[in-house]
Amino acid sequence: MREPLSIRVTTYTLLAIFVFLVAVPLFWMLATALKTNKDLYEDFSYLPTRPTLQHFVRVITREDLLTNIRNSLAVAATTTAVTVVVSAFAAFSIVRYRYRGRDWVGRLILFKYLLPTAMLFVPLYAIVVGLGLGNTLKSLMLTYLSFTVPFCTWMLMGYFRSIPPELEEHAMVDGCTKIGALFRILFPLSAPGIVASAIFSFTLAWNEFLLALVFTSDHTTMTVPIKLSMMVVGDQYIWGQLMAGAVLASVPIAILYFLAQRFVVQGLAAGAVKG
Amino acid sequence: MGLLLPTVLLLIGLVLYPFFYAIWLAFSDKAVGSPGQYVGLRNFIYVLGWPQFSTAVMNTVVFTVCAVAIKFGLGMAVALVLNQHIRGRNFFRAFLLLPWVMPAFVVYLVWRWLYDPLAGLINYALMDLGLIAGPIAFLSDRSTAMASVIVAHAWRNFPFYAISFLAGMQTIAQELYDSAQVDGASRVQQFRHITLPGLYHIIGVVLLLTTIQTANAFEPVYLLTGGGPSDATMVYTMLVYVMGIVNLHLGQAAAVSTLFLPLLVGLVLVVTILLQRKANA
Repeated sequence: MREPLSIRVTTYTLLAIFVFLVAVPLFWMLATALKTNKDLYEDFSYLPTRPTLQHFVRVITREDLLTNIRNSLAVAATTTAVTVVVSAFAAFSIVRYRYRGRDWVGRLILFKYLLPTAMLFVPLYAIVVGLGLGNTLKSLMLTYLSFTVPFCTWMLMGYFRSIPPELEEHAMVDGCTKIGALFRILFPLSAPGIVASAIFSFTLAWNEFLLALVFTSDHTTMTVPIKLSMMVVGDQYIWGQLMAGAVLASVPIAILYFLAQRFVVQGLAAGAVKG
Repeated sequence: MGLLLPTVLLLIGLVLYPFFYAIWLAFSDKAVGSPGQYVGLRNFIYVLGWPQFSTAVMNTVVFTVCAVAIKFGLGMAVALVLNQHIRGRNFFRAFLLLPWVMPAFVVYLVWRWLYDPLAGLINYALMDLGLIAGPIAFLSDRSTAMASVIVAHAWRNFPFYAISFLAGMQTIAQELYDSAQVDGASRVQQFRHITLPGLYHIIGVVLLLTTIQTANAFEPVYLLTGGGPSDATMVYTMLVYVMGIVNLHLGQAAAVSTLFLPLLVGLVLVVTILLQRKANA
């Protein structure tokens, strides 16, 4: 059925406006990163007149951003590895076994969803300092679990519920142990959900700002978000380098997201519908 | 059951314990490195009598209400457009999701640069078009700072509303629209009587989750204005940060966040009740 002309005109006009609004900041980030300082501050131009990679080189050599990228990678990878293992076992236990107190874990996870980090960062700061973990990457690896584990457990619970338990029961009749069936049947069948939960926990950890800001205080332990935010605070104009850093910080997440879009949508759908 | 143990320990150690510890901190004079004594209501009395606290309450409410309203309107409009038969729909859906895929800190750094009074794009473009005579200091002028922070926050977060609403719209049966059209219902009537009622459940969940998230936003304020100019954008999370981490008054900071707990619970209740009434009406 074809829509009336007036509706189609309105639709495409609105679409053009939305695309423009989304595109401008993204374009400006890329354009700034590629411009010379002359283009940025002296002869203003909308497009880079002589595109250059000098800002990327400078943010790495002068600001030593590679150290911060390494920190971010270490924190996000460790958090993700621990989260996936812990959440997969927890979700399996909640979905496949019946015992008292099972519901309480579900409620606690929901409580965490609604409880703001703003309520928790002051006590967590006191705890981290008390444990002697102040200004370490370990403090981040530990505390990030407080939001990645509930999130991924919830998501995997939905995913595991969508897989019929009979498959594991058959495997057990054939002589598999419960844990054997878990590794040979449930985990392989849930691979898309597990990949999706890993991507989410990596992204959450890579993007986290508040706890990293509070817990780390010098260049060697800063993650990328904190390092870049420290570069703004001074009144110096290093926007080319900042936007180059911003591009470097978002590219891995964008690539990860688009490569895995199918898994992510499946995983989220399972978590949302069955959760 | 043993498989659940790590998760339970994590939830207790990193969520429940800090939660109760925060409440205890609010009643103590704890500082970093000293154990802290019970001081009764002293922190609360101090905080409540402090002008900055009421400023933060007001700013948090203004920020939350405006940001949620804009994200809701924009998200609904985008969802309605993407729900039409348009060419390249999958591409546009992925493209309009980009702000939400980008790391939030990146988005706010980009917006800080867009707003820059000396070399920022917005000022240049507005002057190019002849709309303003001289540059506007969006983030350091009291009259524009809050609106600027809200716009940046809405830009980054509207896609979540859009994809949620779009997913809901796609579950509404086409036959409903077809028969409405036969009966001569206009587009607006179709939206009010078919689309909106079909979305009540999703609208409820989205509003509930995002109202809480918006009221607790920290990054847009910290990265764009730091709470300034002269507290014009001081929201409560920023106040907790300044008191607890910058000034190291852990007890007072915890008192501020504890005082906001009833407000948050109240917000959640209001949203829930409003939606239930709407759904029953």
